[in-house]
Amino acid sequence: MALLVVEKISKQYDGVQALDQVSLKVERETIKGLIGPNGAGKSTLFHLISGMERPDSGKILFKGKEITSLESHEISALGIGRTFQTTQIWGNMTVVENIMAGMHLRLKGGLISSGLWLPWIRREEKEALKEAKEILEQLGLLGRWKSPALQLSLGKQKLLELGRSLAMKPDLILLDEPAAGLTSNEEKQLSERLYQFRKDGITLFIVEHHMGMIMEIADEVVVLDHGKLIAEGPPDRVQKDPQVIEAYLKGKRVHA
Amino acid sequence: MVDLNKKEYRKREFLYLVPLWLLSLIVPDAEDLYSYQRKEFKKRDFFYLVVLLLLPLAWHDPHFHHLMVLAGIYAILAMGLSLFLGYAGQISLGHAAFFGIGAYTTAILTTRYGLPTFLAFWVSAGVAASAAYLIGRPILKLKGYFLALATLGFGEIFLVIVRESQSITGGVIGIFNIPYLSLAGFSFDSYLKQYYLTWGVLLGLLLFSKNLVRSKVGRALLAISASEDAAASVGINVAKVKTGIFVISAIFAGFAGSLFACIMATANPEAFSLGLSILIVMMVILGGMGNLYGPIFGSILLTYLMDILGRYQEWSLPIYGVILILLLIFFPDGIGTRLGIRLIYLISYWSKKRRRDEGKL
Repeated sequence: MALLVVEKISKQYDGVQALDQVSLKVERETIKGLIGPNGAGKSTLFHLISGMERPDSGKILFKGKEITSLESHEISALGIGRTFQTTQIWGNMTVVENIMAGMHLRLKGGLISSGLWLPWIRREEKEALKEAKEILEQLGLLGRWKSPALQLSLGKQKLLELGRSLAMKPDLILLDEPAAGLTSNEEKQLSERLYQFRKDGITLFIVEHHMGMIMEIADEVVVLDHGKLIAEGPPDRVQKDPQVIEAYLKGKRVHA
Repeated sequence: MVDLNKKEYRKREFLYLVPLWLLSLIVPDAEDLYSYQRKEFKKRDFFYLVVLLLLPLAWHDPHFHHLMVLAGIYAILAMGLSLFLGYAGQISLGHAAFFGIGAYTTAILTTRYGLPTFLAFWVSAGVAASAAYLIGRPILKLKGYFLALATLGFGEIFLVIVRESQSITGGVIGIFNIPYLSLAGFSFDSYLKQYYLTWGVLLGLLLFSKNLVRSKVGRALLAISASEDAAASVGINVAKVKTGIFVISAIFAGFAGSLFACIMATANPEAFSLGLSILIVMMVILGGMGNLYGPIFGSILLTYLMDILGRYQEWSLPIYGVILILLLIFFPDGIGTRLGIRLIYLISYWSKKRRRDEGKL
């Protein structure tokens, strides 16, 4: 059974059909790309999967369990991490605290035990700090671990956001335009890291507006246009699909 | 000639550095916000503690003791609110109600049912906590202005209930002759004893909050304040964390209310009006948000300000207002925070200057 199954999902906003009977599957330990022109419904699909909004019809299954009507934090707890189109790191914390806050669910402390700073809380915090530093090292951010997260450059903030979702040890990470605003060098580094994650057993589902990066790293690509799924398959085949070319040409945006 | 200049300079610098160092012990650290590895017990904390212990003995003035007791009670309230307002970024304009619930619980239990004050102290916090849980579940779904209005409404409803149910709360007149807090035969009946009681409770709660803030809970609070969507995306149950911290801050208010009732020996609705709620918010904002020493500093400052202005009678309120406006204009992020930042600049400026003069930079 596929890790994530989306079945005939539809969503309407004030009469605009954002998604229309979309069905797709994300297999375990693959990188799946989701592309499409502006307003195709890519971000909407992500919002529906991560529980920030509810679909009008259809259902979403994760690890065989229906998650359509769960709260956003419950879905995250099941093992779906995500990043946001406009980076949403927590600027009021340090870099390492951002990662440690990502571990929230894996730490057992409660209000009272944390307030009393019981011995096992102290141990847990120490271990969490150590693990957070390991994650930062993996992302190449260890040198900045104590600085306020707001002081990082955009590229590094995006990495930090990725690290934060890694910290909860998810099975699936939804990446919403991870390469937007990055320099080509940063983009290259990012795709190498994403490749590494897949090797480590994490499934990635990536939304991209530009075709460049996604065509290199994705195992499979789906294309949305006006809320409809118009193509699905390996990147090289999708790229040649006449319907896809037309969809991108219509908006006069060719990035392939 | 050069040597002489240098010597003269050294001497002057020394003169500057001593007061700066002393100030650095007093003023809250602006970097506390960001430094992850906060030491559990710093030199500064020790300095505060010694000053707190010795101050009432050195300055033996009952009026001063009484003011400090009041400031301590307000500081407990403000510190609780600071967890909710400064860390979680939620507004509450009804905190005086929890303060009132704590005070009335103690008043009713001790005068009507003869419960020992020490027990009533704990029960008050429990009652305030349950009230906060019941209120918090529905209204914490609201955000921003709506939450402010809802909490404000709750505060007013509490006042109406207290005024109208005369058989229990004594209505507008209130309850008198509440006994002093006592434990195992030791009664806190003088201003000096009450001073140590209040600041002892405050210290305990401060340690609790400090631990809370540097733990998983503190990070969740800051995460919610910065972005609720992002917080939910790592599995933080936003509603649960908000309710939890609302209950904690109500417990603080319950303790403060119980102390207030025992020390003032009366409880009447006037003391728990909207004015108090706003005063507490002012204490938190003026002292500095996202900082636990700030609210304590703010409450001492405002308690004193009100006391001094009390002498000018009808002029006191306008002057009070003008001072508050000026403080907010010149210290928008809180007096503690601003002074702390200033100080760090100054110290780094002086140390740079010294190194430059020594030819190292």
